[in-house]
Amino acid sequence: MSERFKLPPLEIEEYYLENGLRVVLNRDSAIPVVAVAVYYNVGSRNEREGRTGFAHLFEHMMFQGSENVPKAGHFQYIMKAGGTMNGTTSSERTNYFETLPASELPLALWLESDRMRSLAVTQENLDNQREAVKEEKRLRYDNQPYGQIFDLISEMIYKNFANAHSTIGSMDDLDDATVEDVQEFFRIYYAPNNAVLTLSGSFETKTAKELIEKFFGDIPSQALPPALDVTEPVEVASNYKEWEDKLAPFPAFLIGWKIPQRRTPEFNALYLAGKTLYDGDSSRLYQKLVKGEESIIQLFGFTDERRGPSSIFVGAIPKPDKDLSKIRDTIMHEIQDLATNGPTADEMQKLHNQLINDSVRMRQSSMARAQHIAEFALYDGDPTLINIELDELLQITPDQIRQGSSQFLNTDNRALLDVVPAGKG
Amino acid sequence: MTTDFRKSAPEPLAPVAFKIPESFHTSLDNGLKLVVFEDKRLPLVSYRLAFLSGDASDPADHFGITSALAAMISEGTETYSSRELAEKIERLGASISVSSSDDFTVLAASALSIYDDDILDLIQEMILRPSFPEDELDLYRRNTIEHLKFQRSQPGFLAGEQTARLLYGPHPYARVGPSPSDVEKLTRDLLVEYHRKIFVPNNAVLIVVGDVDREEVVKNISARFGEWQRKPVAKQTFPALNGRTKRTLTIVDRPGSAQSNIVISKLAIDRKNPDYFPFLVMNQVLGAGASSRVFMNLREEKGYTYGAYTRFDAKAHAGDFEATAEVRTAVTGDSLKEFFYELNRIRDEKVSEQELADAKNFLSGVFPIRAETQEGLTGLIVTQNLYGLPDDYLQTYRDKVNVVSVDDVAQIAKKYIEADKMVIVIVGDAEEMLPQVRLYADDIEVFDTDGNVKDLSGYGQQDSGQTIDVGGEWSLNVDFQGQSVPVSLKIVQNGESLSGRLETMLGTGEISEGSMKGNKLTASARTEIQGEAVEFSISGRVNGDNISGTLSAPVVPEPLTFTGVRDVGDQAGAAN
Repeated sequence: MSERFKLPPLEIEEYYLENGLRVVLNRDSAIPVVAVAVYYNVGSRNEREGRTGFAHLFEHMMFQGSENVPKAGHFQYIMKAGGTMNGTTSSERTNYFETLPASELPLALWLESDRMRSLAVTQENLDNQREAVKEEKRLRYDNQPYGQIFDLISEMIYKNFANAHSTIGSMDDLDDATVEDVQEFFRIYYAPNNAVLTLSGSFETKTAKELIEKFFGDIPSQALPPALDVTEPVEVASNYKEWEDKLAPFPAFLIGWKIPQRRTPEFNALYLAGKTLYDGDSSRLYQKLVKGEESIIQLFGFTDERRGPSSIFVGAIPKPDKDLSKIRDTIMHEIQDLATNGPTADEMQKLHNQLINDSVRMRQSSMARAQHIAEFALYDGDPTLINIELDELLQITPDQIRQGSSQFLNTDNRALLDVVPAGKG
Repeated sequence: MTTDFRKSAPEPLAPVAFKIPESFHTSLDNGLKLVVFEDKRLPLVSYRLAFLSGDASDPADHFGITSALAAMISEGTETYSSRELAEKIERLGASISVSSSDDFTVLAASALSIYDDDILDLIQEMILRPSFPEDELDLYRRNTIEHLKFQRSQPGFLAGEQTARLLYGPHPYARVGPSPSDVEKLTRDLLVEYHRKIFVPNNAVLIVVGDVDREEVVKNISARFGEWQRKPVAKQTFPALNGRTKRTLTIVDRPGSAQSNIVISKLAIDRKNPDYFPFLVMNQVLGAGASSRVFMNLREEKGYTYGAYTRFDAKAHAGDFEATAEVRTAVTGDSLKEFFYELNRIRDEKVSEQELADAKNFLSGVFPIRAETQEGLTGLIVTQNLYGLPDDYLQTYRDKVNVVSVDDVAQIAKKYIEADKMVIVIVGDAEEMLPQVRLYADDIEVFDTDGNVKDLSGYGQQDSGQTIDVGGEWSLNVDFQGQSVPVSLKIVQNGESLSGRLETMLGTGEISEGSMKGNKLTASARTEIQGEAVEFSISGRVNGDNISGTLSAPVVPEPLTFTGVRDVGDQAGAAN
């Protein structure tokens, strides 16, 4: 199948402005919309102790106005032009993006360049956004059943502070952040030479280049940010933790493993091992636990893809009165089987078709393309990797999946987080 | 001079036209309607096989049968088990799911277009030959009943349930889901019979979007569905709906709730109503998005909530409008004030030309973004075909948005946004919020989370803030799955703090973290039941020697309600 399926390559052009801003253009005029994504090479991994949550707090500050754009003006401008937008923060990067009717490309470039060159950093904005972030932390993490478990298990997997701490951060650290911190962070990390600007969709290349030069060309570059160490020992930081969750209606558990970095053959093999275990109604664990034993309400699993050591998780919410250790035994038994026998031919066929399907679907939306391309540019220094990503995954053999499962999953070097309901229900 | 161009937003470039071709329509001899939209951008294909019967068509004695039928289509056929079906579908990298809504039951499939034939074979098998295996039905019943229980802990579900009941009364749109006993009554025979009745070609539309050729599609569909037998379909009639004559307030009491979930609603328009486009634009100005009036007021200016919106749901036979937000309990009354301010303002004052232009720009600008992916495009084509909208609906959508005027918006707001006839539903802590919201309606009713009516006079009577005496021995009756279970509570009071013991048939525990504020008691007690530590949380209202409230523990999925009395004559509690 993989032999007879070749996707036409995306048209990609990459160049730098004199100030070091990396620009990537992906023209595709099928629909008259354009997506603009700005990726800054800063995430929670760049935070120092005592300032956890700062990269995300800063993301909020980027919507508080700049020299020529009023506070909260950014999303007003975008919506009134018929567009959609957002910004997100992860361990690896902070991104800002908007999709607009093709004619509104100048608006997107004006808005993104104005905040890159002249963000309005005031005490009032900081105080106000600090409260908004704390409210977001309460709403999405502290006040949600199971809301904190992914942050907790990262602390159990990683030993290096850069990797282990959460992106949302701690309330105390958020309280300690000062205007000077924000200004310094902006100077160091929000420089054009620490960012990637990607356009995907309908535009004239010549016009786009002129507009990009006009709006971004005179933003001064800065000294490169300090070097970052994200190395990890092989062992997880902690094997077991019991967590009392005041909001959880049922017990649950989460198992996490430390695995090699993204885009290595080992990571790719484990990504496919994970899909075999937990992805979809025909996956091994769904068939064993949701069907079969009928012991769980919900099964979940995913990989956390990073430039340094990464991780993979499997979790479940069991039905009332079910024996959690028996469920975990079933999970480890399936992993052992994968580590011994590898995936079946049917499973390989399924994986290949799913990979092709995912890859084709991703290409439909200009925003998805812009984001994907920006990640390859920022993480790997090569945006055209989007055109070989699928082949890299299709080349992974059953034996690589078996070996990866054996070395990284079928091991006691893993973290188990037990969630115990402890509240009013 | 050098930075002058940055002072204001740049002019847009020349607009680029966005043209959607019209779909191709035909039908088979058995009445199956076929809609084909060739979209060759990528090697993908999407199918929607929609039956024009949904949950609203459930027979009165079998609520929930349509949603059960939809769920069970994927759980086995004459040829394949549930597992084999899942494997066959996923081995193609494809997906097939079936779901029901009020008006329709829809099978949705998508795949790489190279697997076009395989996916059609599977659709044919699932639609024509489902087997409804007993063991899968049994698992469905048990999981659904669990889910229904879980839903009652969700404030959004409780608000929606009351709103639907109040707006739609005798109409089937009044029901948001089956009860556990409805689900228990489902049998394999019923599903077989209902499948035979509803899944008929002359009651269906098949929509195909993607990298296909229309002639091939017609041929492939005829080959697989041509023999499917036409059957008479009973024309369904729905009861007429009565508009409401005054504003009412319904509260669902959820003691201890940190937030109030507010839904202010009214009947509005069905999907084919000619007022649809002016309503769409009016709603965009008023509350559809993050730059709309309601959001700007309640969130950006007042900070009452994370989000406040208005929306309208235009279904096949009727529809409703609602304004909604989850707000901090302490600002429930203030939030109603701002909501009604905005509802009255859009009725009483014309919107500005600028606001109108912004709303129209948004609606016509996001339209092509929605059509960018095959899923989004298919969604638009499905809406057009299922609701019987004009053939040029997608081609003229943006024109219809753009012709709406300030006067059209004013007229629509006057006609539908009658603030004095709205249904107000609030899910939250009634004791805390009722005093704030009493003013907003003369007719007030209160329910518990199980839907039982509660006595209004019991609320908001103890606002003095004075801590009352709760010391002594209390006998409680806890409602556990319909059984009354006795529990005893011994309380020693020291000002606002409480200690003592909780005794149940299964074990006893010391009270920790007990407190008494006004007439509100909260406490937790750690007990041992069969060797397992179980932490109970108690929340109650004391009225003289009577108490009522909830008891919750991790081992039970939702709080248990209790009522109780103080054993008079006991002197144990009178410390200090």
